[in-house]
Amino acid sequence: MKIQVRHIILALFILIPSAVNLYVPLYNRDTPELFGLPFFYWFQTIWLVGCSGFYLAFAHLMNRSTQSDRAR
Amino acid sequence: MIGLDSLIPFVGLFVLFILLGFYGKYWRRGDLNQVHEWSLAGRKLGTTLVFFLIGADLYTAYTFVAIPSGMFAKGSLYFFAIPYVMLTFAVALVTMPRLWSLSREKGYITASDFVKDRFNSLALAIMIAITGIVAELPYIALQIVGMQSVLTVMLAGSSNAQTVGEISLLIAFVILAAFTYTSGLRGAALTAIFKDILIWITVIAVIVVVPISVGGFGNAFKEIKPNYVTLSDSLVPAYATLVLGSALALYLYPHAVNGVLSAQSAQKLRASTGLLPLYGIGLAIMALMGVLVYAVPSAMNFLSGFPESSRGILVVPSLILYSMPGWFSGIALLGIFVGGLVPAAIMAMAQANLLTRNIIKEIKPNLTPRSEIRITKISSTVFKFVALGFVFTVPATYAISLQLLGGILIAQILPSVFFGMYVKSLRKEPLIAGLLIGIALGIYMVESANNFGPLSSSLFNTTFGSLYIAVIALAVNLAISFGGSAILNRKHLEDLPK
Repeated sequence: MKIQVRHIILALFILIPSAVNLYVPLYNRDTPELFGLPFFYWFQTIWLVGCSGFYLAFAHLMNRSTQSDRAR
Repeated sequence: MIGLDSLIPFVGLFVLFILLGFYGKYWRRGDLNQVHEWSLAGRKLGTTLVFFLIGADLYTAYTFVAIPSGMFAKGSLYFFAIPYVMLTFAVALVTMPRLWSLSREKGYITASDFVKDRFNSLALAIMIAITGIVAELPYIALQIVGMQSVLTVMLAGSSNAQTVGEISLLIAFVILAAFTYTSGLRGAALTAIFKDILIWITVIAVIVVVPISVGGFGNAFKEIKPNYVTLSDSLVPAYATLVLGSALALYLYPHAVNGVLSAQSAQKLRASTGLLPLYGIGLAIMALMGVLVYAVPSAMNFLSGFPESSRGILVVPSLILYSMPGWFSGIALLGIFVGGLVPAAIMAMAQANLLTRNIIKEIKPNLTPRSEIRITKISSTVFKFVALGFVFTVPATYAISLQLLGGILIAQILPSVFFGMYVKSLRKEPLIAGLLIGIALGIYMVESANNFGPLSSSLFNTTFGSLYIAVIALAVNLAISFGGSAILNRKHLEDLPK
């Protein structure tokens, strides 16, 4: 049971950012602007940081679980 | 023609770059007569180095030339590069640590090695190697176009600009060939760090200076056409499929696999991959320059001296020249110049591995390790000059479009490589058929989308809107690979004695 929850969390760390990236209508708009930059541009740029956060969480969880597999 | 104040930092830093490249031979010494030592740096690179090396592989002249150029000419459609790099690292996180582990265990150096072993099919492995080599060529050519754009801007106004530019490129390539021959991937990794430092300095300076000089982003976007602000509804499917197709294709390129396999462990590979989207911030800033340049009259005036089709590739170098102090533009222009040179070296090395291990060695199986490494080194040199010849003969704008064709080709090896690692039921015959039909269909659709003329579009009009051809061809390829395997497996079950 514990393993299944871990797998779902791992999958979400990949699927959530991917769904945002592929669902273009979500960010295809010009307002609200940030420093005069249309939403379309600043959102995708800032989302790079968000994505990295998801991916690092994935990497961390995955690395921890492969290490504990080896220890077993 | 630029002044001495720019030329001195440019040349001085280039000399330093060369020294680093040759010094690579002595760095973390290994026996460079072994293939994995030469081309994978002994599989010993840690998180930071893999970050820089794969960053150098992936953020290339594509970032500094192709994307700003597309933004300049076509508008926000070309911002697809940003979600593309985000998505590609998700793909990499899922697939690459597995490829790394399999390769470490069984001694693979290329994706083709894996396919040969997994499907026990020489034919499929050779086709994958050829696809990799061919798809990589226009990518190298694009790097050279990027370097050329720097030289064009630097030499503009001098009487024999073209000749001087071509000779300078040739010299740069001879030097590059010499240090990759002696130092292998170690030389590339060291120069990649150097290149990235210069690039980041440039990116930070550009994002501070350019928006201020045009009176803020708001000012730059006020006068611009709507297709530079957001996507028109008709381009949304194109944007999404360009993101998807490019993201799936990137880690199939031989140079990306090469970078991945040089990591020290799967853990370190995951950590550095997770960090790589941050590198995309630089890409986003560069892409924006394709729009901001419209608000910089001196740069626009300079660009108007060139034919319309080649203005795009000059956007970033000319913005740097016209908004930065002379000494700084020397540094920044060198960053872009070696930003093409380093990836070109890594790509040619990856091609050479494929040619030697997966084609020549299959024909001459009793090759000694010594001659294997010699052929690899020589062919990596040859590939560099093939790409250089390509750039000298084909117009630059054509090279960028051919890179998109490269993406369509390389995407077709996905079923064998990615699904091959996870799906046990796949069979070699349908994979071969899927690969060949996918490639044929892809080329046909590209030709027909461009009315069998010069290549400028990689989108195909369908009932779902215009879509990136790589995705359509891959969908057909996947249907054949999985459908065919299911049929063969069922037949196999029926044929078993009851």
